[in-house]
Amino acid sequence: MAANPKDIPIPNIEELFRPTHDERARQGMVSMIRKHAIIDMRRALKSDYEERIEPKLEREGRKPEDSAAIEKSLNREASYRFYSSIRYNAQEMCYLSVQPAVERALPGMIDLAKDLAVRNPTGGSLRLNPNLEIPRYITALDVHLAPGWVHAEYTADDVAQGAVVTFGGKVFSGQHPYRKKPGAVGESLAYWIKKKFPNFKPKRILDLGTTTGKNLLPYCTAFPNAEAHGIDVGAPVLRYGHAIAEHEGIPVHFSQQNAESTDFPDGHFDLIVSSFFFHEVSVKATKKILQECNRLLAPGGVMVHMELPDEATVSPYENFFWNWDTLNNNEPWYTSYRAQDPIQLCEEAGFARDQSFKLHVPDILTFGEERHAKFMRGELESPAHGSGGWFVFGATKR
Amino acid sequence: MTTSAEVRLPRQTKGKRPHFFDDPSIDQMMTFLLELTTEVGVLRERLDTVERLLDSKGSVTRAAIEAYQPDPAVEQERAAWRDAYLKRVLRMHAPE
Repeated sequence: MAANPKDIPIPNIEELFRPTHDERARQGMVSMIRKHAIIDMRRALKSDYEERIEPKLEREGRKPEDSAAIEKSLNREASYRFYSSIRYNAQEMCYLSVQPAVERALPGMIDLAKDLAVRNPTGGSLRLNPNLEIPRYITALDVHLAPGWVHAEYTADDVAQGAVVTFGGKVFSGQHPYRKKPGAVGESLAYWIKKKFPNFKPKRILDLGTTTGKNLLPYCTAFPNAEAHGIDVGAPVLRYGHAIAEHEGIPVHFSQQNAESTDFPDGHFDLIVSSFFFHEVSVKATKKILQECNRLLAPGGVMVHMELPDEATVSPYENFFWNWDTLNNNEPWYTSYRAQDPIQLCEEAGFARDQSFKLHVPDILTFGEERHAKFMRGELESPAHGSGGWFVFGATKR
Repeated sequence: MTTSAEVRLPRQTKGKRPHFFDDPSIDQMMTFLLELTTEVGVLRERLDTVERLLDSKGSVTRAAIEAYQPDPAVEQERAAWRDAYLKRVLRMHAPE
């Protein structure tokens, strides 16, 4: 009797990534340089500003009042220059440290992803659109200093960028206290949604700008009866993500689409999510995408996006800290996105103002369930975005 | 089209590179310095692997170095070393 194809174990595409001894050591070093910049030097910079620079300027009657003025007061200081330079180099090195091993693994990865895309042994699917025009706000610069970002293709059926952003991302967050586990955002938001809306049973979930779907998978685990869809403009990340989801035994329907205008019918989804997404697209595109969310969200549905805290939510110094990435991490929309009020954006897109929300929710992996229950009862505040909490905005629909 | 085995991914990023120092050659020197700092860490880790193999097996081959998988305790020790090493190498002067 022939073996049931369902009983054949589905290989893990990630296991094909086999760095040498020295490459692994290099990745470990880069993770620590990145940690040194984003934790240790960031803290030193803040102290230097608050204890030395700001008081001096205040005495001279010219205390910086906003992000741009703070940047100007700092950009000739050694604390800022070395923090920036080390942070920038560490970011580049994250991807450089994984590229050789991705190149060696590529033929095997492509063969596996192709096979899984034909067989769909777990029941997911992959729908690509080679004619899709990749928006210029994605192609003009290499976002996050990742050459080729999520969209570049170097050979037929390419998955290289899926692997580069995945393994580069692991180097990036390898020593970060709140980002050690991929999918931490999806896990935290799904947990919060279940507590906030205990009777909510979504039938279909949509993740925008899903890349490899790493933050979508936790929603699938939290709502196992829902049909999950992930869209992105980049084909390599979708092929790679599809191979991972099939291996994990989680059926996900990946399709290559621009979130500004999808081919799904009206009211098709009752849960629409995204993570780290809107600040990478133009403000014009953000507005169109939120309108599309309004079209796609069914009555009774919930929309939750994890994003950077908007300018009005945080202090001028925090604004300076976040906006650094605009020019220095190839994220040109960062500052203009953060200048928008998320509630207003929801309202402009057609959501009811009194149904729209923005707040910080705790990172469940580090905050713990007991403290989370206190947070839900209003007895504890969530830590700030990136420091043990995640900023979210969204809306519900009656 | 390039075959999958021939793909060489681009190492340069598309977009304007910022300069944080008045003389852009200092920005370039920082890249040299950080790459070199990383390579010293790599070399040190390779030596650590050799020492651990000699402790446990009494001999060492290139294949054994390549196959060596640190357990979580070793990984933690190595992370602590990297952290302390970087704090020494990247020691900042007190602001004037």
